[in-house]
Amino acid sequence: MVVTFQLNGEDCSFHGDPMTPLVDILRRERFLTGTKAVCREGFCGACTVHVDDEAVPSCLKPIGLVQGCAVTTIEGLSSGNQALHPLQASFEAIDAVQCGMCFPGMVMSLSAFMRDNPHASRPEIKAAMVGNICRCTGYERIVDAVADCLDQARKAGRLAGGIDV
Amino acid sequence: MSELSATVMNLARRDAQDKLRGRTKYTNDRIRPDMLHAVLLRSTVPAGRIRKLDVSAALRCPGVRAVATGADAPGLYGIGIADHPLLAIETIRYHGEPIAVIAAETEKQARAALAAIMLEVEPLAPVFTMAEALQPAARLVHEGWRGYEVITEGGARAGNIAWEARSSRGDVDAAFARPDIRIVESSFTVGRQSHVPFEPRVAIGSWEDGRAHIQTSTQVPWTVRNVTGRVMQLAPGHVRVTVPPVGGGFGLKFDASIEPITALLARMTGRTVVLENTRQEEMATCLCRENAEIRIRSAVTAEGYIAGREAVVLMDCGAYGGEQVFLTTMTAHTLGGNYKVGAMRLVSRAVYTNTPPNGAFRACNGVYNTFALERHTDEICDALGFDPMEFRKKNVLGDGDLGATGQVFEADVLGPMLDRMEALRASTGTSEAKADGRLYGIATTVGTWFVFVGPSAATVNLNADGSATLVTSGVEIGSGTMVQSLPQIVAGQLGLAPDQVIVREADTDAAGLDVGVGGGRTTVSIGAASVAACAEVREKLLRTAGEMLQTRPQDLVLRDGRVEITGRPGSGMSIPAVVAHAQATTGPITGSGAFAARNAPAMAGCAMGHFIDALDIPVFVVHEAEVAVDPDTGHVEVLAYRVVQDVGRALNPRAILGQIQGGVVQGLGYALHEEVTLTADGHIAQDDFETYRLPLAQDVVPVAADLYEGAPSMGPLGTKGAGEVPILAVGAAIGCAVARAIGKPVRQLPLTPPRVLRLLHEREPPPEFPHIAPGWASNTLG
Repeated sequence: MVVTFQLNGEDCSFHGDPMTPLVDILRRERFLTGTKAVCREGFCGACTVHVDDEAVPSCLKPIGLVQGCAVTTIEGLSSGNQALHPLQASFEAIDAVQCGMCFPGMVMSLSAFMRDNPHASRPEIKAAMVGNICRCTGYERIVDAVADCLDQARKAGRLAGGIDV
Repeated sequence: MSELSATVMNLARRDAQDKLRGRTKYTNDRIRPDMLHAVLLRSTVPAGRIRKLDVSAALRCPGVRAVATGADAPGLYGIGIADHPLLAIETIRYHGEPIAVIAAETEKQARAALAAIMLEVEPLAPVFTMAEALQPAARLVHEGWRGYEVITEGGARAGNIAWEARSSRGDVDAAFARPDIRIVESSFTVGRQSHVPFEPRVAIGSWEDGRAHIQTSTQVPWTVRNVTGRVMQLAPGHVRVTVPPVGGGFGLKFDASIEPITALLARMTGRTVVLENTRQEEMATCLCRENAEIRIRSAVTAEGYIAGREAVVLMDCGAYGGEQVFLTTMTAHTLGGNYKVGAMRLVSRAVYTNTPPNGAFRACNGVYNTFALERHTDEICDALGFDPMEFRKKNVLGDGDLGATGQVFEADVLGPMLDRMEALRASTGTSEAKADGRLYGIATTVGTWFVFVGPSAATVNLNADGSATLVTSGVEIGSGTMVQSLPQIVAGQLGLAPDQVIVREADTDAAGLDVGVGGGRTTVSIGAASVAACAEVREKLLRTAGEMLQTRPQDLVLRDGRVEITGRPGSGMSIPAVVAHAQATTGPITGSGAFAARNAPAMAGCAMGHFIDALDIPVFVVHEAEVAVDPDTGHVEVLAYRVVQDVGRALNPRAILGQIQGGVVQGLGYALHEEVTLTADGHIAQDDFETYRLPLAQDVVPVAADLYEGAPSMGPLGTKGAGEVPILAVGAAIGCAVARAIGKPVRQLPLTPPRVLRLLHEREPPPEFPHIAPGWASNTLG
C-alpha cells in the first residue's frame, strides 16, 4: 500500500504495510531520531508528534492512518537555525533538561496543550502530562517552564485565540 | 577566592538545545541501514541444564550472518567473583538469561531465525527466594562456586551465599547483657526497583584494525572494555569503548551486560552489529535494586543511649553475584551509619537465587537500609517514650564519633543539618490542613551515604584559540557533570569561561582509566584529576608567560582569558599569545592529572570482606515528608517534602536542586508504588509501563531544599557528589510518615494502596524470617 502525507512541510510517501507504526517510519526510514521509541505502547509520550496539529503518540499511529495528513516532528518544530519554540526556550532557561530523552515528546505534547489552553493552571498542566513520563527530573521544573511560558505569552499579548505555535 | 568565584555558578547545560530539538544522537539513534541486527534467544525457564543447543539450522535462515553461543565467549566476569558467562554455558540460572544470539541483515530476519535454534533444556527445581536458598539442603544455584576465580579477596563464601561482609566493633554481647537497657527488635523487607532509563541497554559493535570498537549506552566504559576482554579472552587493550550521550542510567548501566555480544558478532561477521533490548527485555532482565530482608536489634538505655546494635541483612543478588557482592560492604556504612552506637556488629550476605540478576541503583543498598534504620529508630522511640526528633538530635553522628568499622567521623554535620531542617520547615510552613480529613503524618529522617571515589584520570590540552580541551572517561548520563561541574572546574582553574572548555566524551583509547559515572563520584574524582591536570597546564603557561613578560611565574595569575601580573588587571597578555609562543618554542601546553581514593582507615579487625573499610567522603542527608493517607482507599498523598543535603560545596546550586527533585521523585516511586514481583515461572511480572507504575507529574510535589555547605570533603573546592544521594532517605521519610499517620508499624515497601489498607486493618502479616537465626553469629560463615 502507498501512503502519502506531509512530513515537516514536505511531501512524503511510504510503500509497505499500512499497519507499520509511524514512529518506525520516522526513525528507521527518515532518520528523524528526535522522536523517541521508549515504551512503544502509548504510555510514555516520548514519541509524540503532531498529526494535523494534534499531539499523538506515533507508536500507536499506523502509517496508513496518516494518509493525507500533515505530520510534524520535533525536528520540524524549529528546524535549522530557527529560534527555539518558546517552550523549548523556557525549558532551556530553567535548566529543566537532564538525560533529555523525554523532552522531544514533552515539547510536542505541551506545545499543543499550551496552544489550546492558554490559561491553564498548574494542576491543569500536570493533568495534561499524564501521558508524558520523565524518569530524571521529577517534573516540577517542566511544569514551571510551561507556566512561565504561558505567563510570558499572555504578557506579550500573543494570545488571540491561543499561543502562536 | 577568585578561583571560587570563577567556578561556582548556575551554568546552563550546553547539551540542552540539541536535546530539546531532538538532535542529540544517543546510542540507539545511531542505528544505520548497513548494520546487522542482533537478537537474543533467552531462557523461558528459571533453572535448567542445556542438553542440546544446535544453531546450524538458524545459520541457514534468510539474512542470518552469524549465530553465537556461550562456547564462543567462554570467559566469566563479575565484581568480586567471576561467576557470570556472557551467554549461558551448560546451566540456565534465570528466566530471560541469554543463551544464543543471532545477527542478521534485519531485526525481523534475526527474530524469525530464533525459531530455528534447536534447544533442549532439562528443567531444574528453581530456588526463587533467599529463604529457599539458605535452607541447609537447598540446591546450589552455582554448583561450581568453589572453582570461580576470586577477583577481590576477603569475602566469606559458601554455596548459595555469594559473598558475606561483616563488621564488628566493641563487645556487643556485653552491651545486650547490661541490666539498664531495653532491647528493641525490628524486621523489614523491601522489593526490587527497576531503573527504567528511557534509553534501554544498547550497543553497536564493530571490528576495526583487529580490535573491537563498542559504542554503548553505559556508565562504565572501562568495565565494558575489561569485561569484553575477559569473556572474549582478549587483552582488554584490544577493546575500544566510546560513549555517546546516555539516555538515563541510574546505576543500571554501572555494569557490563549485552555490550560484549556486539563485539563478538562483529568479529565473526566483519560487520557493524547493533543489539538493543526491547522495553520488555529491558525490564524483564533489569539489574534491579535488590530485594532485601533486614533484621535489626538495639540495646538502648532509658536515657536514650544506644549501647549495642546488631543486624543481619540479606541481599538477593539473583542468578549472579554482580554488584551485590560489592554492595554487601555498604551495610556497615548505611545501616551502621547515622547514629552513635556503643558496640555494633553487622553481617550482610549476597544470596544467589534463580531470579534475574540484580545490580546497582542510585544510593544502592543505602535506600532500604536507611528505611530500616529510621523505622527502627522510630520503633525505639515508641518503645521507650522518646521524642523522635530529640532522640535523633541526641544520637546522630558528630565529630569524633565512630562508625561501624571504627572509622572516626570528622565534624558535626548531621546535628546542624537537623537544625537547618527545622529552620526550613519554619520558612515553608507545614501542610497538615491539606490532609482535609485524611490521616496525616510527618516524619524527619536522616541518612548516611558516601562518594564512591576510586581512580580517575584527566588530560587538559590548552589550545591556541584560548580554549581548553578536557579529555576524560566521563559520561554524560543526564546528571550534568560533563556539561556543568567539570567545565566549571576547569574554567575556574585556568581563568577561562566555561564555554571555552571543550569536554570530550568518553573514549577508552583517548582517556585514562576511570571506574565510571556513579556513586556521586564524577565531580569529585574526575574533577580532582582535572584540577591536577590544570595545575600542570598552569605551571607551563605561567613559566612561558614569565619568560615573555620577564616576570617571575609566581607573580602571575590567570584571569579572564589572560595571564596577568598580580594586582594589575589588564596587564600581561592573552592566553592565546602565550600558547602560540609555547607551541613554537617548548611545544604545545598539555597537562595530565590523576586521582585515587585516600582509603580512609578503619579500626583494625573491624571490617571483614569489605571492598571499602571506611568512607573517604561521607555524605549526609535530612529528609522530611508530610503525607495524607486515605483510610478508605489506602492511597498515600505526599503533601510536602523537604531536604537538607550535605553537598560540601555547591558548584552549581540550580543543577543540584534539579538532581534533588528528580532523586526524591524516584524515591517516592520506590516508597509508594514501584513494585516488582515474580511470576510462578520466575519471570519479572512488571515488564512494561502498564504494569510498572512510575511516578507521574500529578504524583509529585516541589521539593523544598536547603544545601548544607562546609562539611569536610577531599573533593575539589570541597565539593561532594550531589546527584546520587537525593534518593537515599525517601523510603525512610515516607515509611516513617505513613506509620505515624496510620498508627501502625510500617515494615515493608512499597506502600501501595492495598498494602496500606491491610496495615490499617491489621491484615498485613509482619515480616518473619525463619531463615535468619536468632543468634547473630549463627548467621555468619564465621
